[in-house]
Amino acid sequence: MTARIAIEGLDKSFATPVLKQVALQISTGSIHGLVGENGAGKSTLINIISGLLPPDSGSMALDGKSYSPTSRKAALDAGIALASQELSLIDTLSVAENILLTSFPQRALGINRHAVRQRARVLMDLVGLEQLSPQTPLAQLSLAEKQLVELAKALSMPEDTTRLLILDEPTSALTSPQADQLHRIIKQRSASGLSVIYVSHRLDDVLSVCDTVSVLRDGVIQLTAACASLTSNDLIREMSGEELLRHSDDKPRTFGDVRLTVEQLSSVDFPEPISLHCHRGEILGIAGLAGAGRSELLHAIYGLSAERQGRVVLHAAGQDSVIDSASTAANNGMALIAEDRKSQGIFTGKTISLNTTIAGLGKLGGALSAILPRREQRVTEELIAQLKVKCEGPLQTIDKLSGGNQQKLLVARWLQAKSDVWLLDEPTRGVDVGSKLAIHDQLRQSRDQGAALLIVSSELEELTALCDRILVLSDKKAVETYHRGQWDKEMLLEAAFSNYQGVRVAAG
Amino acid sequence: MLRKLNLLFEELFIFIALLLLVAFFGVMAENFFTAGTLMAILTQLPALTVVTIGMTLVLISGGIDLSVGSVVALSGGVIGIAFTVFELPLIIAAALGILAGGCAGLVNGVLGSYFRLPVFIVTLGMLEAGRGLAYMVTDSQTVYIGASIQALSLPISGIGLSPSFIMSLTLVVLAQYALTRTIFGRYLIAIGTNEQAAKISGIRTEPYLTWVLVISGLLAGLGGLMNAAYLGASDPNAAIGLELSAIAAAVIGGTSLMGGRGSIVGAFIGVLIISVLQNGLAQLGVSEPVKRLITGLVIILAVLLDRWRSR
Repeated sequence: MTARIAIEGLDKSFATPVLKQVALQISTGSIHGLVGENGAGKSTLINIISGLLPPDSGSMALDGKSYSPTSRKAALDAGIALASQELSLIDTLSVAENILLTSFPQRALGINRHAVRQRARVLMDLVGLEQLSPQTPLAQLSLAEKQLVELAKALSMPEDTTRLLILDEPTSALTSPQADQLHRIIKQRSASGLSVIYVSHRLDDVLSVCDTVSVLRDGVIQLTAACASLTSNDLIREMSGEELLRHSDDKPRTFGDVRLTVEQLSSVDFPEPISLHCHRGEILGIAGLAGAGRSELLHAIYGLSAERQGRVVLHAAGQDSVIDSASTAANNGMALIAEDRKSQGIFTGKTISLNTTIAGLGKLGGALSAILPRREQRVTEELIAQLKVKCEGPLQTIDKLSGGNQQKLLVARWLQAKSDVWLLDEPTRGVDVGSKLAIHDQLRQSRDQGAALLIVSSELEELTALCDRILVLSDKKAVETYHRGQWDKEMLLEAAFSNYQGVRVAAG
Repeated sequence: MLRKLNLLFEELFIFIALLLLVAFFGVMAENFFTAGTLMAILTQLPALTVVTIGMTLVLISGGIDLSVGSVVALSGGVIGIAFTVFELPLIIAAALGILAGGCAGLVNGVLGSYFRLPVFIVTLGMLEAGRGLAYMVTDSQTVYIGASIQALSLPISGIGLSPSFIMSLTLVVLAQYALTRTIFGRYLIAIGTNEQAAKISGIRTEPYLTWVLVISGLLAGLGGLMNAAYLGASDPNAAIGLELSAIAAAVIGGTSLMGGRGSIVGAFIGVLIISVLQNGLAQLGVSEPVKRLITGLVIILAVLLDRWRSR
């Protein structure tokens, strides 16, 4: 029997390889789990199958026929339904319009509104949105309800033409009865021949719902096996790999005074308060899965979040400063390098020099707030040399530099501003190895000079190599803080998964 | 060194376009190279120039100021009434007019940045409200001011340039300096390029976005003074559509409507191009509709060239 979808030798690179020779076969009517750490390549693989990204090489076949979609529309026409983690919904439309957006019932003159409501009603009842009216504007829905709408949308395609349903973290916002209902639906559909790819961090769900599962690590499929033969520990071991625990400097170090205190901080994104502190000369890691609230925590500490509650205090010799906005944060020595370099970091189309000095223009020391171009360029040149940024010079625009060199310049920006409390969100994501090591060296050097650093990273090796302590977040709550020497990678992963599994992890 | 040349090239490019335009009219229109043409251009220029300076700064910060034309009329009205009805000294009247422009800008700025309303809409509202106020202040009548104010737009003997013109040229230089060599200008560019990154870099965006609209309002107020000087009167119907000429001049001069990029010197050359075009076409005997058609095409062409250049 030919497989529903057969993938052979799939490669995809962005700055670095993301998928390497991925091969996968999913048979008709099978539910196939896909698990892996953040950045393992799951999303890229899904995007390629659903037509959102082209592969660099490799081939796909759908029911034995060659399949190479050029757009999401082409994949839809081929019968690939997708419920995306980032919800492909439009806030200004009604629930019904959202559900049927890709398959509006037409009649001679435009949309058949009656049919829209009727079909939406059926799908809404199916996914457990009985209490909602199809005309409700989507903006009024909770996140869980929106996730169910996204599912209804994925299920809106005619059953006889849908061949593969891809679910990306479909239960991340759902309660367990809601998740159970979803699982019942996909089991029913698969019994009548639908194939499903089920991506989730909830390993217990994966093992109970799926027939087979694949583990993806660093873009390589490590294991494909029947779920009946596996436990969640097996999956965690495959996801983390063995070459861990390479501590580059394992000797215990002494810290200075506490530089940063975060007391009972909460925001709209993580309602349960989180407290932490960081000493001078210390690196505190923050681990957790995507969506665990790590970036949101850094943004709240920096004074950026909505409905922020709690206190963030910087302690300097003889004087405490309370941080209530990004400008007080920056002016009191705090630095934030956000996860999304393009939208929150660099100034596109501007010179390296502008990008480097923007946070510390006052420290260039021109009278009457004048900027002295020579001095600015000299300062920029010094930083370019210090961080070994590959570029033509301070007046080159930043756009054409590699991700690694842009990231180095963001580090340079805050060095120039003389920051000594660093909040770094995925500081080396999408960065080549050379730049990564250079950034690590610079961060260690800042630490040795008395800076306090908070680092969010999805890469556990990065955290275990750099950090003195690691705080693990799970599902927007602080789980546990581990000290250097106490942790191993499986322990951290287990803690990161803990609030998704309903299992309380023992203190490390 | 090459890079520096490249930066100069930005302005050089449109300057050459201006020279070509002048050469074109010089050949085509018999009387183009005369003192009369030069005078016509020089006396009309200052008001549009100062308004365009403000507009360019606002555009660079990522905003837009649609109210400038109305504010010019409002300021002119305030000056005329203060001078003729309240018989205040001209200098006080002028200051009140400029201040009225500043107030309009302050309202724009506060609503735009602290109340987070879209600047486009706020200044569109001010375009209507400002015009209404101008009619109210002047009782919808043109107020004759007379020779005392006209001195501003007449050439100073010995120099050959009017005080208005000298003032506007000085402001071009000052604003270009502020934009490229001060923290204020640098922050405007940063905010206009990427507001979120600017915030994370520690810039408090609200005061800067307010100030830039206040400056635009003050400059529109000054434009009102210059316009009244040129007319010798304050006309509540003055400067209708001036905001579009100012935007056009800024865009021809290489300013991006998306924010973050622009040059005051470039915008000034843009003003010159528009004036030369208007006067040159008039001398060729081109009708008003065709003049507008050609001006529109030139604006579109400028943006196309700019797009092509920045590739």
